[in-house]
Amino acid sequence: MASWRRSFRLHLRGGTVEQDVDDEIAFHIETRTRDLIEEGFPPHLAREEALRLFGEVDGVRRTCREIGVRRERGRRWTESFSELRQDAAFALRQLRNAPAFALIAVFTLALGIGATTAIFSLLDAVVLRPLPFPEPERIVNLWSVFRGEDRSSSAGNFHEYRKSARSFDSLAAVLSSSFNLTGDGAPERIDGARVTAGYFETFGVRPALGRAFSAAEDAPGRERVVVLSHGLWRERFGGEPRILGRAIRLNGLPHTVIGVMPASFTLRSDDARLWVPMALEPEQLTDYGNSFLRLIGRLRPGVSPEAANAEVQGIATRLKEVDPRSNAEKGARIEPYLDRLLGGYRRRLLILLGAVGCVLLIACVNVANLLLARGSARSREIAIRSALGAGRGRIVRQLLTESLVLSLAGAAAGIGLAYLGLRCLVAISPPGVPRLGQAGIDGPALACALGLGLAASLLSGVVPALRTARPDLQTMLKEGGRSFGAGSPRDRVRHGLLVAEVALTLVLLVGAGLLIRSALELQRVAIGFDPEGLLTAQLSLPEADYPEQERAVATVEKVLDEVRGGAGVESAAAVSILPLSGWNRSSSVEVEGHPRPPGQEVQADTREVTAGYFRTMGIPLLRGRDFTPRDRRGAPPVAVVNQMLARLAWPGEDAIGKRLAYFISDENGPAWIEVAGVVGDARLGRLETEMRPGFYIPLAQSDLLPDDVEMALVVRTEGDPAALAGEIRRAVLGIDSRLPVFDVATMDEIRASAVATTRFNMLLLTSLGVIGLLLAGVGIYGVIAWFVSQRTQEIGLRMALGATERRVLAMVAWQALRPVIVGMAVGIAGAAASARLLSSLLFGVSAADPATFAGVLTVLALAALLASWVPARRASRVDPSRALAP
Amino acid sequence: MAKMDLLQGTLDVLILKTLSWGPLHGYAVVRWISQQTEDALRIEEGALYPALHRMEERGWIEAEWGVSENNRRAKFYRLTDAGRRQLNAEAESWQRYAQAVGRVLQTA
Repeated sequence: MASWRRSFRLHLRGGTVEQDVDDEIAFHIETRTRDLIEEGFPPHLAREEALRLFGEVDGVRRTCREIGVRRERGRRWTESFSELRQDAAFALRQLRNAPAFALIAVFTLALGIGATTAIFSLLDAVVLRPLPFPEPERIVNLWSVFRGEDRSSSAGNFHEYRKSARSFDSLAAVLSSSFNLTGDGAPERIDGARVTAGYFETFGVRPALGRAFSAAEDAPGRERVVVLSHGLWRERFGGEPRILGRAIRLNGLPHTVIGVMPASFTLRSDDARLWVPMALEPEQLTDYGNSFLRLIGRLRPGVSPEAANAEVQGIATRLKEVDPRSNAEKGARIEPYLDRLLGGYRRRLLILLGAVGCVLLIACVNVANLLLARGSARSREIAIRSALGAGRGRIVRQLLTESLVLSLAGAAAGIGLAYLGLRCLVAISPPGVPRLGQAGIDGPALACALGLGLAASLLSGVVPALRTARPDLQTMLKEGGRSFGAGSPRDRVRHGLLVAEVALTLVLLVGAGLLIRSALELQRVAIGFDPEGLLTAQLSLPEADYPEQERAVATVEKVLDEVRGGAGVESAAAVSILPLSGWNRSSSVEVEGHPRPPGQEVQADTREVTAGYFRTMGIPLLRGRDFTPRDRRGAPPVAVVNQMLARLAWPGEDAIGKRLAYFISDENGPAWIEVAGVVGDARLGRLETEMRPGFYIPLAQSDLLPDDVEMALVVRTEGDPAALAGEIRRAVLGIDSRLPVFDVATMDEIRASAVATTRFNMLLLTSLGVIGLLLAGVGIYGVIAWFVSQRTQEIGLRMALGATERRVLAMVAWQALRPVIVGMAVGIAGAAASARLLSSLLFGVSAADPATFAGVLTVLALAALLASWVPARRASRVDPSRALAP
Repeated sequence: MAKMDLLQGTLDVLILKTLSWGPLHGYAVVRWISQQTEDALRIEEGALYPALHRMEERGWIEAEWGVSENNRRAKFYRLTDAGRRQLNAEAESWQRYAQAVGRVLQTA
């Protein structure tokens, strides 16, 4: 029986796991059968006996196969993992041996990955994350549409929509307003909103503390309740849970706190910080003329925005008949809430993401170039390794592991840069970006950085790895790896990379250039007044404290008198809406003697001012006179028009003494007011909008002041305007201690914040453009330096044969500039296409602005020349005798 | 003598011991064990294979395809260093166990 032990064993290859198990069992059964027969078992029964002795064949086979498959899988994992570990260790050694290369590559990638990660985390927080409301897609805005523009709705129209529209679970109206919060502590101005009952239900959010308004509280006389935002509750009331039931004074009236909203309900830094019931008066419900309400609704489940749109348009048609004078031209439109909230931000952030993507691609191209250069330096090592039996796949894997190690290091450093970058971004970004505060380097951002690292390792690594792993025999045969003659495949890859780099940089720079020009244009806008040395402050006189407007106006005058007496004050005045503040009020103007058909009246911006306003602002009085304290109620009503209105209303005539009416008058006919003066055109609204016709009326004669009078003080000072802020506060508090003075700012600051968004865009894109330009410069330098080092011999030969320094310089520079020129051509096409995406961010410059393109091309060409100059210069200094020495 | 059922885990020790003499294929392991125990242990022959494969997975034994004495393709198992250590440890604990049980039974 010992015979099988003496068997010789051959190394036979095993088959698949399954096959091996079957073979092993079959061998057992057959050998057993043979032995049984040998031992005298009846041959026809032997196999059956062998199977019986074996037991459960199927069960054994299954168990063995399972074990085998498991083992096989484990083995493959360990093998590839240990290979990866070996490769990574080898890669680290290689990189340690070339620290300069490793540092440059890691830093380059970190820039690209960091910038992209920072922008991605912004995009994620602001746009991608779902709103913190249940089923946010059902929340919509309902706009009145007037001549193609979205407008607020009148209370009458709102009432009608709420009564008859079937598409909504709830429909609410909002009116942003500010409140003077007084009692316990300094008076404070709080941005809040008046809302109808159902406002919070529309969002599907319950108060974190207490309750929301009931329908009964949304009625005149019952409305003295308030819901606080989480932020206001924390900051002003110390997060005191016993706040519920307490009364706080808003605009002089006590309001009982009934609820506190959760922190997540506040999306933007400038969102409302408290809410009070709207409490529309019964007569307002049939007022169709005064449009001041924003409508927000929650669609019924299963109702699409399109269906709701059709319904509200039907109702709008019916409303035309209810009040033709106000509604004849009004339509209606449903817009998803998210669309308006994210408005331009989605697009702006995507543009930024595109820009940082360009930077990342440039970084990858640069690293690819570096890897190529290293690859050719290592071609001997690679050749030796492949001669020793390393397959091409194995070498490619090794080289890719190197770029993976680089990229992961780049990603790690990039996360650090992203963290810093994000903090800077949040700090300098203009106000009003929703959920900006939630942006952080969190899970999604880390995943993004890691993913970008992997992508970058492939982007930058694959081409060099494939190139390097196929050592070009011809080159190898030439000792030292130098070759004559341009146009080897490796050259073509390099040139291709350079073309891509230049093209991407051009796209970035054109974007940055257009935004720089926009910002310059915006700064250059003629504002028509002198902003320097002007201090401004807001003052609010609520109806509860000042039931008669005459008293409010008198108080403003008293404050101004007090301020004028201060040291360093040249003059002071007040205006109902501060220029450049972003707010506006305009009226339809009837011009005496020049009637216009309805709907085509002159639209002019309207402002109430006190005497001395034009002098204080530095707006030139062109004709007639300024207002005086004698222009008060009871005196003949007067107006001062700006030049544009004067020309539009009375072309070729003298406006002084002519009459206009600024509100559609009742049965008594137009209320005519006489033009007393003409002033220069000064910007009344935003910087971005066109200069518009406008007129001023004396504060004391206005019929259009809101119940809660709000005025802006403007003070012309001799020295630093900011130094007078405290004095103004004291002057106001001395006259009425309940009045908060808020938004104290110099006109220069207001002007700066008016251009903040444009400046922000410009700053970002410009810094990205500069990074791109630097990277591209380094890339160009690298390629040319490599080119020169490869051709030292050839250059030496040419010089020995009589080529001048200049000729060599030209030859080398031409080598460099050829791909740069091709890249510029590609880049111009790309930039022209992508600049159109920017057009909504531009001001005063077209997306195809030739000056910008020319300027950017010049900058890029200069950078390319500079980057190629240094190595080209070195080439022209080649000493022929040294270069040709064996 | 009545046949005894194999105690749990005992099969592993028997296989390791068998393979300590040299590489064998599975069938040979079965025959060797039944010879040595004079068929006193009842082994379902098939039960051997899962045990072999499991020990291979643990690294106690190694397998290699070779050719048997009757010129058939067969899988040969060989003890590894880890397997030899395992065998020594198991054998020692078995002897201690058997001695302990034996002492108790003798005093009774």
